Amino acid sequence: MNERYSRQVLFSGIGKEGQAKILSKHVLIIGAGALGSGSAEVLTRAGVGKITIIDRDYVEASNLQRQQLYTEEDVAEKLPKAAAAEKRLRAINSDVEVVSIIGDATPELLEELVVGVDVMMDATDNFETRMAMNDVSQKYKVPWIYGACVGSFGMTFSMIPGKTPCLNCLLRSIPLQGMTCDTGGIISPAVQMVIAHQTAEALKMLVEDWEAVRTSFVSFDLWRNQYTSLKMSKAKFAGCLSCGEERTYPYLDQENMTKTTVLCGRDTVQIRPSSAGEISLERLAGQLSSLGYVVKGNPYLVSVEMGEERMVIFQDGRALIHGTKDLTHAKSVYQRILG
Amino acid sequence: MNKVLFFAHLRDAVGGAEFLSVDAGGKTVAELKAELAAKYDLPKMDTVMTAVNEEFAANDEVIQDGDEIAFIPPVSGG
Repeated sequence: MNERYSRQVLFSGIGKEGQAKILSKHVLIIGAGALGSGSAEVLTRAGVGKITIIDRDYVEASNLQRQQLYTEEDVAEKLPKAAAAEKRLRAINSDVEVVSIIGDATPELLEELVVGVDVMMDATDNFETRMAMNDVSQKYKVPWIYGACVGSFGMTFSMIPGKTPCLNCLLRSIPLQGMTCDTGGIISPAVQMVIAHQTAEALKMLVEDWEAVRTSFVSFDLWRNQYTSLKMSKAKFAGCLSCGEERTYPYLDQENMTKTTVLCGRDTVQIRPSSAGEISLERLAGQLSSLGYVVKGNPYLVSVEMGEERMVIFQDGRALIHGTKDLTHAKSVYQRILG
Repeated sequence: MNKVLFFAHLRDAVGGAEFLSVDAGGKTVAELKAELAAKYDLPKMDTVMTAVNEEFAANDEVIQDGDEIAFIPPVSGG
């Protein structure tokens, strides 16, 4: 066994046998932001055989405070996060096969990427992608590890098909107007705490120590000193459309996805959310202006200036992103604010 | 009486205290959510996860006097 992994091999939970398993496994990381950078670095250093990482954004200055794989140079070059991540991960451990994909993690693409994968890591910033990951996990029987954070608060939960409840059991629908790092801010320790939980779970799964996998839902607030671990044995929902008897995998269906359309000749993209529902425009306007955005509004809509783009959000969650024709970019701008 | 804890932005919305004392015995989780949402003008509560005595509770679960309730909003940042 390689000297490189000697300290991890000495750890009784892993050992030589566990390390051999880690070296032969494939992890798919969805998102290369704060959680994705951290998970990818831990798993690359641990010697995971193959890591596939997908992201649709490029590196910006506001990422550097917490997204550990990136540098000022990446910002200056406006490198796609997936490409910048691949470069850094290869420099960290050249034995790991790193595959980076610059693009949107659509259900269709996830169904292609999941083939041959042992564990999926959640490092996305929106619930639509998480629900799609959840359906892919159930359909292809690949475990995934939910993780999310905002402010000083974070949460994580490991989902094993056929064993634990799934994300759709817990939420039953996509939360509209979830808090995001762009609306609620984020401190790096909250990110690191989620990464620590997620990657510890991943290592347990990679060495196939299923008994050790945490069955509770963890949430914490590092600023207010709260930590809870919820028992989830009653959370499995028999009628769940993702993991129940009558499953339909609703989030793999394009009908249930956010719709993006370029509006002809207007340099504008329209976004229609997957679940209908009302958002509180007043609350949104207040939140955005307290963050220093230039916000205008009336009882029907909120308009916010965001660098080169302007986003107009209506009460039913529909939005127009002015100043771009790029569908993926527009969806990213939207989900940064509305989760 | 019931001790009710709020996580993340919900804690700010109810004034920042560590917990509230609420008389929730006999109410369902959904009823308590609706009551608190109206009283404190809380953002959308239907997808907020609820724990009763540190165990996941569905919206139709009935709360007993003395149960400890926690509201944990799923967050999407990553």
